[in-house]
Amino acid sequence: MAKRSTVLKVAGLSKSFGPVVIVENFNLEVREGEAIALTGRNGAGKSTVLRCIIGADQPNEGTVEVSGIRMSETNPDIRRDVATVIDDLDFFPDLSVVEHLDLLARAHGIADAEAAVDEVLHEVQLVPQSGQLPGTLSSGQRRRLALATAFIRPRKLLVLDEPEQRLDVEGVQWLAARLAAERNRGLAIVMASHDPLLVQSVATRIVRIGADAPATEVAG
Amino acid sequence: MSKKSRKLIRSTPAAPTVRADGPSNPDSIPVPAQTFWFLPEAEPLAVNERDLHDTMKQWRHGRATRSIWDAIQNAYVAIFSVLMIGAMITNLVLKAQSTMAGCSELACQSARTLVPWATWFALLGLALGISRLFGPVLVSAAEGFWLMDAPIQRSRLLSGRLRMAVISFGLGAAVLGGLTATLSGSSGLEIGLWTLADGLGAAAVTAFAAAEQTRERSKLTRALQTVLATLALATLILTVAVASGWMTLSLPVGSSTVVPAAAASIGLILLILELLAARRRLGLIRRARLVSGGSLVAGMQGAMYALDFGLIRDIVVERAAVERGFVKPTAGRGVGLQALLWRDLQRLGRFPRPLVPLAASVVAPYALDALGLTTINPFVSGLILVVVLVPFLSMLRVLSRTGGLARMFPFRTSQVRTAAMVVPLFLALVWQAATIPAFIGITSAGAERSALDGTAIALVTGIAGWLGAVRWVTAKKVDFNTPMVATESGAVPPALIFNLFRGIDMVALITAPVMLGGSPLYSFALAGVAFVLLRGTFNSDELKAQQEQLNREKEAAKKASGQKIQVQRPRR
Repeated sequence: MAKRSTVLKVAGLSKSFGPVVIVENFNLEVREGEAIALTGRNGAGKSTVLRCIIGADQPNEGTVEVSGIRMSETNPDIRRDVATVIDDLDFFPDLSVVEHLDLLARAHGIADAEAAVDEVLHEVQLVPQSGQLPGTLSSGQRRRLALATAFIRPRKLLVLDEPEQRLDVEGVQWLAARLAAERNRGLAIVMASHDPLLVQSVATRIVRIGADAPATEVAG
Repeated sequence: MSKKSRKLIRSTPAAPTVRADGPSNPDSIPVPAQTFWFLPEAEPLAVNERDLHDTMKQWRHGRATRSIWDAIQNAYVAIFSVLMIGAMITNLVLKAQSTMAGCSELACQSARTLVPWATWFALLGLALGISRLFGPVLVSAAEGFWLMDAPIQRSRLLSGRLRMAVISFGLGAAVLGGLTATLSGSSGLEIGLWTLADGLGAAAVTAFAAAEQTRERSKLTRALQTVLATLALATLILTVAVASGWMTLSLPVGSSTVVPAAAASIGLILLILELLAARRRLGLIRRARLVSGGSLVAGMQGAMYALDFGLIRDIVVERAAVERGFVKPTAGRGVGLQALLWRDLQRLGRFPRPLVPLAASVVAPYALDALGLTTINPFVSGLILVVVLVPFLSMLRVLSRTGGLARMFPFRTSQVRTAAMVVPLFLALVWQAATIPAFIGITSAGAERSALDGTAIALVTGIAGWLGAVRWVTAKKVDFNTPMVATESGAVPPALIFNLFRGIDMVALITAPVMLGGSPLYSFALAGVAFVLLRGTFNSDELKAQQEQLNREKEAAKKASGQKIQVQRPRR
């Protein structure tokens, strides 16, 4: 069996805000078909690690590489490979739900954009809201749209910050099944989550991040 | 804590104490100690709204840490500066008034007659638009939550808000109207009458908007606003036409005083009628409608503290989108960056309203030329173009305000930004083509230029306006983590001050060479540099990553060249 290639490599990552050290010497290597769940208490630094991984924040020390390329948020190759759902996602106020997905699909060069959009819209159960502007969506629907933006486009690495937030029970079950399927297809996933169901069904490894202890890995 | 607050706290009745030692009569059935109470069965006392309002006022005063006198003492430099600048502006206004009053040219006469009319229409339209946006009757979120559901007469609490809105709009319009009448060289009587007409008219339309708000209607308000804006534009075009000598305007003698007097009288009558209508139904306005205006103000206030005008616009745009709620989806076109471009074009068809002010702004360079302001025409027209182009840059705004959305597109930041700048550039070029005659100088008052020079200056103005609008929407918000500058008002981040001039700086920089009599080529060169910077070409992260990638490739190439190449010897 061929060795799966490394998609994400984090080495010696440290991040502090002023005198407060959030993460220190964090290391992680994620291969194709692996799903890493970052767990820990509120404020443990999960989101900070994810923000550094996707380049939204610059670490004080350490390096992040995606498919061998040094992380730069603005690098088009990295943008092509990394799909993210974190809190800073914004929407065009004047484009409808379906138009957001259509725009993303076309920007990523998907040949049959309309079919792909229809499929994802059905999956996230936003068909009735397809013509709605994002400002009128409920918080749960906005989260579904954010997830849809990650699933509509090609990707090698999926980074999710508490993707279960605001989803109903059925929604979390669907998400767990979808992420497990993505992982089985060879996608690398890194997510922060507080949901035991999601962590157990998706993660191949669990990394526990604590405020007063270094990150520890638990086999998933 | 202030004395008033302490007094208030002392005057509050103590909470009921729980008797946990059981009933006093041993024969009665023991009752468990009560830990909660239902509302008293007795009818609650009638609430006096005025007392309630006074109590709220006292609470607020109790929280104040400084008196008005303290604030004035602390801000004496600012006040002194305002007074100095105010005196200078007044002096300038008076000088301009005397110059214009003495001017007997056609341009001055038409300005004197028609500009106050255009201002009247414009101010009324503006007052109506702002009133509709905010309410005009509004309450804060806290008042909406705590007070509006209480058994009180809402109308008694809200009447003060209505009064405040009507007076504010009336006073604001009166000042602006009076100033315009003064600057156009009108006589003292005319200035007074136009001040009255503008103030009463704006107050009347605000009261009208409030009356419509009580009926939960907005169609009539929107229609009236469109009519007023159209009339303002038509009057402005008429001013330019008369000043250019394309047509003559012969008004009856005395019309310059009769018209504003009539407008003021009609305004007064309408104000009384609409105020009565609004006051009668004030208690019927839904809480959600009242609070939405208050939330909008609160959001804008927050943005104003950081002088983040972009955020203020975002709040308004978001609200308009929520009001609209639903659109008929249209299929996109193209792939890659073309998809972004097509979406921006489709947006024009979906939201064509900003095209109206853009089209109307074409009149501005002609009006400035008619007023003889040839030298500053590129700068002022460029600024006007910034204002009317900003709505077309909404895609660029969203893509640059947070990294989240831009990160999802597989392109460089500079590529995404450039794609989002194309449609507004096209509009700016159309605008400049339509304004070429104004820069050549077609009116009797303005200076004459050759066709080539006029075209070049029109192009400079168009590009300056476009880049000014780009700068306005892409400017970074204030970072309060940076080192601060000490001022009389406390520590201020330097970016906060620069935020005031964003957009204006670009226009001033690019139009400066032509205003100083230099070649337009200098302006084009400056515009080129500004474009390279504004499209995000020099992103430090991007450059660093590129450098590192190059180094890695070099290392790899070195390693590869270090390996000895095995060459097979030829066999004999």
